[in-house]
Order: sequence, then structure tokens, then C-alpha cells
Amino acid sequence: MQSTYEKLEQQKGALRKKFPIKKPVIYFILIIFAIVNAYPIIWMVINSFKSEQEFATNQFGLPQELVFENYISAWNTANLGTLFTNSIFICLTATFLTVLIGAFTSYFLSRFTFKLNKVVYTFFIFGMLIPIHATLVPMFILMRNLGLLNTPVTLIFPYIAFHLPITIFILTSFMKAFPKDIEESAIMDGCGIFRIFWSIILPMSRPALATVIILNFIYNWNEFSFALVLINDPNLQTLPLGLASFAGQFTTNYGAQMAGLTMSLIPIIAFYLLLEKEIVKGMTAGAVKG
Amino acid sequence: MHAARNRTIAITVGILPALIIYLIFAILPILQSFYYSFMEWDGFSDMRYVGLANFIELFQDPLFWNSMKNNIYVVLASVLGQVPIALFIALLLNRKIKGLKIFRTIGFLPVVLSTVVISITWSLIYNSENGLINELLRTAGLDFLAQNWLGDSNWSMIAVLVTVIWQFVGLYLIIFLAALQNVPEEVLEAAKMDGASEWKTTWSITIPMIWDTIIVAVILCISGSLKTFDLIYVMTNGGPAHSTDVMALYMFNETFSKLQYGYGSAVSVIIFFFSLILIYTVTKLLGRKML
Repeated sequence: MQSTYEKLEQQKGALRKKFPIKKPVIYFILIIFAIVNAYPIIWMVINSFKSEQEFATNQFGLPQELVFENYISAWNTANLGTLFTNSIFICLTATFLTVLIGAFTSYFLSRFTFKLNKVVYTFFIFGMLIPIHATLVPMFILMRNLGLLNTPVTLIFPYIAFHLPITIFILTSFMKAFPKDIEESAIMDGCGIFRIFWSIILPMSRPALATVIILNFIYNWNEFSFALVLINDPNLQTLPLGLASFAGQFTTNYGAQMAGLTMSLIPIIAFYLLLEKEIVKGMTAGAVKG
Repeated sequence: MHAARNRTIAITVGILPALIIYLIFAILPILQSFYYSFMEWDGFSDMRYVGLANFIELFQDPLFWNSMKNNIYVVLASVLGQVPIALFIALLLNRKIKGLKIFRTIGFLPVVLSTVVISITWSLIYNSENGLINELLRTAGLDFLAQNWLGDSNWSMIAVLVTVIWQFVGLYLIIFLAALQNVPEEVLEAAKMDGASEWKTTWSITIPMIWDTIIVAVILCISGSLKTFDLIYVMTNGGPAHSTDVMALYMFNETFSKLQYGYGSAVSVIIFFFSLILIYTVTKLLGRKML
């Protein structure tokens, strides 16, 4: 990897001695990068408004007139309303429970010393190394034995279990940094352990809570593998699963596929543009220890 | 005494819910897959103990080795593609530049999108009739280069790898940018005063100063690319002719299409150890702790 990169840099370095790199060159490269990154999405959104004939003949231009047929057929055949409802329900429930249970656990792991503290913490963190796909088959069997295949709450369990490690990791390291005298003075005032958690530690952890909420939400919103294995009732599918089977069935109807994808993109892109700073912070923190 | 007991109860109550869910839904499946891997089982009738037969069959199946090879391609493409591109762009962005924020926003965008959306979009882009790439080639008069990108086993893996790289460059870009911003300005200024070229400063000061982050990114890249499943499942389902099969897909198809739960569990066990051993080796080699 370094060699190609090195070569590139060397050529650049050699060049620079004679002609120092000009800003225009830098902008040029950056703009190419931005186009490669964004154009696939833009291409899809623009073409979702074209009729089939126009897509075949005029792929790069703007649509001559906006055609909404693709949207109507995608919404109806892909059952997008149901998919959205399912995704939102599972996402919110799993995120809420993961963060609640995770915060509670992190509080005890970060603010108390007890015999098994380190062991329990390491055990949780180990979860970040488990390759999720290695659990697909046994997870299917387990859920079938528990009678939990194809129910509205099925996905919530694995989502909580597999996102607790990163949640606990982020929250514990944040809560560890608070000074010790916080609790001491609270105990003086007669606060109990749970009261301290609820009215002192939790409010103080707000930035880290925001990070893990966003992280959990995005992971859950995008999750596909568990949904694929554990859900096959079309009425219980989540958005990614529903989109995948829709695309599988309508392989030749490009317009409808693009319209369906565009609709599923709108909320996440809006969410991203609105909360960019928090999302980037969360996902890089999640990645660096995920 | 009383207080101490209360404290123990509180700690137990506090940790137990997380521990129970984690044990049942994350740890138990792993342990169960060890057990099932010694069984022959179609998922419905009684299990039959077959010892190591599943593993022996597995190691004799060329398709399994093929899927492992493809998995390694994914790892290599991620490490050799994502990290250098991200570092290069981050270095370019790490200066007074107009529109830095916009480049960052666009750069990170694919990371937020669901893999399924990305896979379907790229499948459309690679489409042999109306796909973006072939259309671009035709417009440029390069018709002869147009391919059935995902349908031709010579090209399918390359096409998939391009998408893999595209998806996560932004993540490493942001990680590198953050690290670059922590390099103290004075050091770079001093080097400049001494007449060092930008290239020289980059190579002998900036990169060594963010080396730790680069290592983290490489490890991340490896563990992340071992998780590739969704993307290939949606784009090609391992085809054509197993040219894009990876281990998780092999496992999925062996288990759920052929109803071989014991055999599938044996593949799960191998994936589990393959991932752990690879990550362990890499972290050790790069001088870092695994946990």
C-alpha cells in the first residue's frame, strides 16, 4: 500500500521543488474525490424522477419533467409504509433499552470498586470482537427454540446484546473521568445509589449519551444480517430487508428501485445533515473501539 | 454492614440486566455453535453426533477455501485501498482550504448510509445495459470497455471490492483528519522555517506523529472487512460461479439453502476463530493490545 502511495507522494514531492503544488491542483483532486463520493447517490436520486424511456436515453441530464410514477409504484409494491413503521419501532425500542441498560451498567463499572469489576468489564468489551456472522446460524436456532422467530420484538434482543459492548465502552470511559467527590458530597446530603445515578451521573453524561444514542440508532437502522435470518414475514420486515427483497423482485424496474431507495435515504440524510457533528463523533468513536 | 450489603445488592441489580441479555443473545450462540458443529442436523429431525466429520468435509471443500480466499481479498482491498486514499485526501484537506466543511460532509456521507442501499445503488451503477459505468464508457466512445461487471466472474470481485472501498473511505478520512488536527502547528512551522519542503515535512514529521492512528485504522479496517456479508449478499449473493463468495455467505447458503445446520455451525466456528486469530496476530504484530 505504501509503495503506490509513496510513489505518488514522491512524484509530487519532486514536482514541488520545481513548481510548488498550487491550490488549484489540490482543489481539483478534492473535487474529483467529492464527485466520486456523492455522484452515485445524486445519479440515483435524479434518475428516480425519470420515465423508463428517458432513463434509457438521457441518463446524465436533469429529468425533462418530473415523473412520480416510480414513487407511487415503489411505495405500493415495496410496502414502504409498513417497512418504515417497523424500522422506527425496532430502532427506537432497541436504542432506548440498550442505552438505559448500558448506562446503568456503566455507572456501576465506572464508579464502584468491587471484586469482579475488571472481569465483567473485559467480558463486555470482548463482545466487540465477536464476528456477528459467526452467530447467524446459532442465533436462528436459539430464536426458534425460544419461539421468537418472526415476532415484532425479535430483532430487539440481538440488537441490544451486540451493541451493549460499544455502549458500555463509551459510557464507562466517560463516567470514569468524573471526580470522586461528586458522590461523596451527594452521600453527605443523603442521596442513595440510584438517586446519584439518576440525578447526578446521568445528566453529567449527556454528551456521551448523545454519542451512544446516535450510534445505536444508526447501527440498528441499517442492520441487515439478523433481520435477514430471523424475519421472513413481509409485515415484520425492516427497511433494509424490505428494500433488498424489493430490489430482488423488481430487477428490471430501475425507476421504482431508485425511487424506493431515495425515499429510504431521505430520513437518514436529513438526520445526518442536521446532526453531522454528533454523528461523526459517534461513529468514529464507535469505530475506533468497534 | 447493612450499607455494604445494600451496595452489593445494588451492584448486582445494576449489572444483571445487561449481563443476562448479553450472555443469552451474544455469548450463548457462540457456545451453541461449538456444540452443533459436531452434529449432523437438518434443523428438524433428531441430531446425530458425527464428531469432526463436518470439519473434515469443510476443509475438503474447495468452495470453502475459495470463500476464504475472497475474504482475504476483501481485507487486502480495504487495507490497501481505504487507508491510503483516506490518508492522501486527509493530508490534502489539512490546510487552509475553502469548503473544508463541505468536503468533510460529502466524504463521510457513504458511511452513514445502509449497506443495503449502497449495494442496490451500486448494482444499478454496474448494470450491464443501463448502468452508469457502461453509459459513461459509451458516451466517451469506449464501448469496447463496457462489461457485465457483476455478471462476469472475471470482473465481479473487482467490482465488489470497488464498492467496499468506496463505502468506508470516509470513516478513515475523518479519523485521520482528527489526528492531523492534533499535530501541533509550531512543529510544522519550525520545519518550514528550516526550509523543509511540504513533502518532506509530511513524510518525516506529520506521518510519524499520526502513526498510532494509522495503525488503529489498519486494525479497524481488517476487523471491519471480516464482517463483509450484507454488501455481497445483496450485490451478487456470491456469484457468478462463486467468484464473490465469502465465508459468511458460504455459511449462510450451506445452512439455509441446504438445511445443514450442523455443517453451517462448523463454518461459524471457523469464522469465529479465523477472525479472532487474524485480529490477534495483527494487533500483536503492530504492537497493540487486542482489548
